[in-house]
Amino acid sequence: MALVTYISAITEALQEEMRRDERVFIIGEDVGVEGGVFKATKGLYEEFGADRVIDSPLAEGVIVSASIGAALAGLKPVPEIQFSDFITPAMDALTQQAAKLRYRSGGTQTCPLTLRVCYGGGVGGGLYHSQTNTTWFAHEPGLIVVAPGTVADAKGMLKAAIRQDDPVIYFEHKKLYRSIKEDLPDGDDFVTDLFKAAIRRPGKDLTLVTYGWTLQLSLQAAEKIHAETGAEIEVVDLRILNPLDKDTFLESLAKTGKMLIVHEDHRTLGIGAEISAIAAEQAFDCLDAPIVRLTAPDVPAIPFSAPLEKFYLPSVDKIVEAATKLLNY
Amino acid sequence: MATKVKEPVETPAATNGSANGSSLISNDKLRQLYATMLKCRTLEERARVLFKQSKFTGNYYAAVGQEAAAVGMAIDLRVEDTIGPSHRDFITGFIKGAPLDKMLCHLYARGNSPDKGRSSPAHFGYQPLNVITPASTIAAQLNIATGVALANKMKKNDNIAVAFSGDGSTSLGFWHEALNFAGVHDLPIVFVCQNNLWAESVNLQFQTKVPDISVKAQAYGFPGITVDGNDVVAVYRVAQEAIARARRGQGPTLIECKTYRWYGHSEIDPAKYRDPEEVERWKAKDPIANMEKYLTGKKLFTPEWKQEIVDGFNKELDAAIEIADKSALPEGIEALDHVFSFDIRDRVLNPKTYTPSY
Repeated sequence: MALVTYISAITEALQEEMRRDERVFIIGEDVGVEGGVFKATKGLYEEFGADRVIDSPLAEGVIVSASIGAALAGLKPVPEIQFSDFITPAMDALTQQAAKLRYRSGGTQTCPLTLRVCYGGGVGGGLYHSQTNTTWFAHEPGLIVVAPGTVADAKGMLKAAIRQDDPVIYFEHKKLYRSIKEDLPDGDDFVTDLFKAAIRRPGKDLTLVTYGWTLQLSLQAAEKIHAETGAEIEVVDLRILNPLDKDTFLESLAKTGKMLIVHEDHRTLGIGAEISAIAAEQAFDCLDAPIVRLTAPDVPAIPFSAPLEKFYLPSVDKIVEAATKLLNY
Repeated sequence: MATKVKEPVETPAATNGSANGSSLISNDKLRQLYATMLKCRTLEERARVLFKQSKFTGNYYAAVGQEAAAVGMAIDLRVEDTIGPSHRDFITGFIKGAPLDKMLCHLYARGNSPDKGRSSPAHFGYQPLNVITPASTIAAQLNIATGVALANKMKKNDNIAVAFSGDGSTSLGFWHEALNFAGVHDLPIVFVCQNNLWAESVNLQFQTKVPDISVKAQAYGFPGITVDGNDVVAVYRVAQEAIARARRGQGPTLIECKTYRWYGHSEIDPAKYRDPEEVERWKAKDPIANMEKYLTGKKLFTPEWKQEIVDGFNKELDAAIEIADKSALPEGIEALDHVFSFDIRDRVLNPKTYTPSY
């Protein structure tokens, strides 16, 4: 067992998959000699060389679309977008090409690539280094969208994504990189089920559905409420945003009767809206209270100044407040 | 101040390649070039008629008049070479050898078409021959073909990619990104710009300030060649050079084929924005008629031979059309297939209803 950070787990996953399968290669801005802006690819250039850890021109569109072509030709590209804020030049590649290639070719052409994207606020990054735009992609059938919220998932889901025969967008929250550590088995071929949400904390009084950094906040909030009131909040980690694992959160709702959804993406038409709609359609009889969403507000992007950023983001206190109100409904 | 619309840009085609000196090309190859162009024309004219007869729906984007560019570029590609076609490159699949019945079933959106009826008529892809199924987003195929070329380089084989697009595509950032990336990595790819002067109703003068698109290759550090796109021998010669260069690992080439589409952007576009005299002027440069003259001069052509090709091909076409006519349309539920590598039918059709535990 070794204590590793979220970002080290990512590096280990990449290294192990590149050793295991010579078709796997990395492409992106600064991923080579520099090892990436957050050092997620540190050491890989030295081990695998410039042919498999490719520093690309500053052009997100071609990073992703050339990866699509390479995937089509039988390789397993793992492209990187430095910050999810910069992903828009690659939108055509992702939504029109990667997401539709299998479909538009009647299943004869496939696109197995894993796009690593760094996202999320809370680090004072401001408008263009903090966005949580997971919903843009979760809305797109044909793209598998995952957002690991634990160290084990950071490793296991990345390895599973690389082995998947579909385009996967792997959202890694920058706040998680160095703030959480877990014991992971040494040298193990550690692969996680990509498609199943996880119960991170069992409970009977309220179902709290979340993913990414807000998973960590939600677990803290659940502990705090339990210490103060004895209430048991069940925390569901979505892990995969498309396709959603509906069964896990609906089964939890059937047990608790109440649901709070917490996410950092905008409110309107966000993941929370979809989860609410699914619950209303398929589990209406289970509801003992209105479904509540705690999300980022509908403003264009996360603002820079500290009080503005604090107002914008979900926090432990905000989750405690929302959950308490719902428990008392 | 309103911009005055100038006369359409119509620079004379350069002659970097020409029929002169074609002695290196065998007589069989010359006849094959001609016969393939003639078949492409026959195929597309028939497709246009079928569309007008409402035998298939959607739309069709004919490359009639541009056959020399497609045939000259694609005729000698290997199965392992990849083509990235645009919406006007239906015939590239045929040139590479796709079966006619598959192509007709595709036009008719039948369940047994290669894409199972998903893509619209002109978007023909064929995985067994490495023809990428096109998308409508212009220039996107250049980047994907670039990625295939990257993979070929990494796998150290000598397969290449050929990406087709039109003059309008050169205005997009994606076009620049593909060429720049391919240049930086010396990728085995040939970019073919079929400059037919019109992007829908927009003349070339509103796409670019430069008279020859091929000069843009200079910015990416590899050769750009403008060729008379209506001279199939000329195109074939520059294509051979560019393809050999790519196979040798010497990097990309941009080939600009100056050509013209005889009809509108699509079958629902009467192209009234064009001067009829311009159309007639270009029809006089018909690549097929030009090749007939050239072959006649070399005593390689007779009208009887031409008739034989057309009759024989029409028979093949009739058989393919019959197959398409008899083929079943896909079942509606098949719309749920091939979203992911796993089946989503059950997820969509049979959602569970949850019952409370109390």
